[in-house]
Amino acid sequence: MQISLTVNGEQRELEVTPYTRLLDLLREELGLTGVKEGCGKGECGACTVIMNGELTASCLVPAPQADQAEIITVEGLGTKDDLHPIQESFVEAGAVQCGYCIPGMVLAGKRLLDENPQPTEKEVRYGLSGNICRCTGYAKIIDAVMLAADKLAVKGSDSSD
Amino acid sequence: MIRKSPMKQEDRQTISGTDFKEYFQPQSLKEALDIKAEYGDRIQVAAGSTDLLVANYEKLHEIENWLDLDKLDELRRIEVKASKLHLGAMVSHLKLMKSEVVKDKLAVLAAAAEDVGSPQIRSRGTIGGNICTSSPAGDLLAPLLSYEASFKLESAAGERIVAAEKFFTGPKRNLMEADELLTEIIIPLTENEREGAWIKVGRRKALVISTLTLSVVLEFEGKKIVKAGIAMGSVAPTPIRLGEVEAMLIGKKLAELDYQKLGQEVKARINPIDDLRGTKEYREDVAVDVMVRALNEVEGKVSS
Repeated sequence: MQISLTVNGEQRELEVTPYTRLLDLLREELGLTGVKEGCGKGECGACTVIMNGELTASCLVPAPQADQAEIITVEGLGTKDDLHPIQESFVEAGAVQCGYCIPGMVLAGKRLLDENPQPTEKEVRYGLSGNICRCTGYAKIIDAVMLAADKLAVKGSDSSD
Repeated sequence: MIRKSPMKQEDRQTISGTDFKEYFQPQSLKEALDIKAEYGDRIQVAAGSTDLLVANYEKLHEIENWLDLDKLDELRRIEVKASKLHLGAMVSHLKLMKSEVVKDKLAVLAAAAEDVGSPQIRSRGTIGGNICTSSPAGDLLAPLLSYEASFKLESAAGERIVAAEKFFTGPKRNLMEADELLTEIIIPLTENEREGAWIKVGRRKALVISTLTLSVVLEFEGKKIVKAGIAMGSVAPTPIRLGEVEAMLIGKKLAELDYQKLGQEVKARINPIDDLRGTKEYREDVAVDVMVRALNEVEGKVSS
């Protein structure tokens, strides 16, 4: 069957089967390999995308349910030369070890800061609670999201000047 | 001696691409009910899919026929009608925990919704899915029993309303007929002060299947308890309501209750099993503690 969705701002028409997961669609059809498969059962958060504004485990979405959806993957945030402030903060805080969880962590961080621009550490932990870091590098990942909050706050006050 | 581990040939299922027969994504409930009437239990219903895709991991292609309710926005409403709250079966956990009316009138249900899985699960998983999966560990189920919820089951032939307490018949089993869909959850509201507590015990704070859950909802006239809903998950083959313990509270004030003794009464009425989330003994001991904790929490919330 055919579905129509927006991925990172681009409108797409795709032929899918019910047993194609959104994860497979993004990785294999669209080449967005920033979306990772960890557990495949919604427990690790490596496949996190933002779907219609909310964090979603793309391994648990049958592709037909993504019809008319708006999807953001890590590729939609910034480019290598023009990083999103959250990505920049992950680099600066040294939050990346093996890297596998990072796209999901970055998106969870973004979703959190969109709703709550000045979170407490506890709120950051809650916002990232659906994402597992197998290297157990949580402390620096939390630092990175806190740092991103500060960066975005400064940026916000700059533009309002 | 150097030992080589044998090469493991992962026996992944091959996917042919033509295995499934029908995928229905109806635009109206009526259409969905007609399809369910025709296919009965030969069709897989998909709501938020967060249980479905776990249960069918790497064998999704084996599902022959799909009935996807995703387009049925008419099942995503939250409405108050004639002092009852009506929740559409496709309301997500996220919507439930953020809804002002749910937080205000059914605080225990809102708190339970907030404890389901993770943000990634709550955005897709639905209340109707939690009910129809009928796991004894389903987080919303004990609160639904406490609030005396009833479920509207619709079929092409008509509808019936079933009390939550009667609905669950065993682990992952319920009394739904093959032609029926759960469409609405109906919860009576009250003018009385209603306070409650929700306790989920698990090995982590997020993404955990409950070792045990307790939901306590007490209704007060003045200081006197006039109604009680005490229910638990993961301590019996179905979520259970503890009517005999409730009866010990009715007509009393909180100050007249012996919390520790009530905890023992709870323990005496549950029938947990040993599993990888906890032993029978652990669950029995913890049941006492969470009952005491819940009553203390309620005490802290009641207006003086």
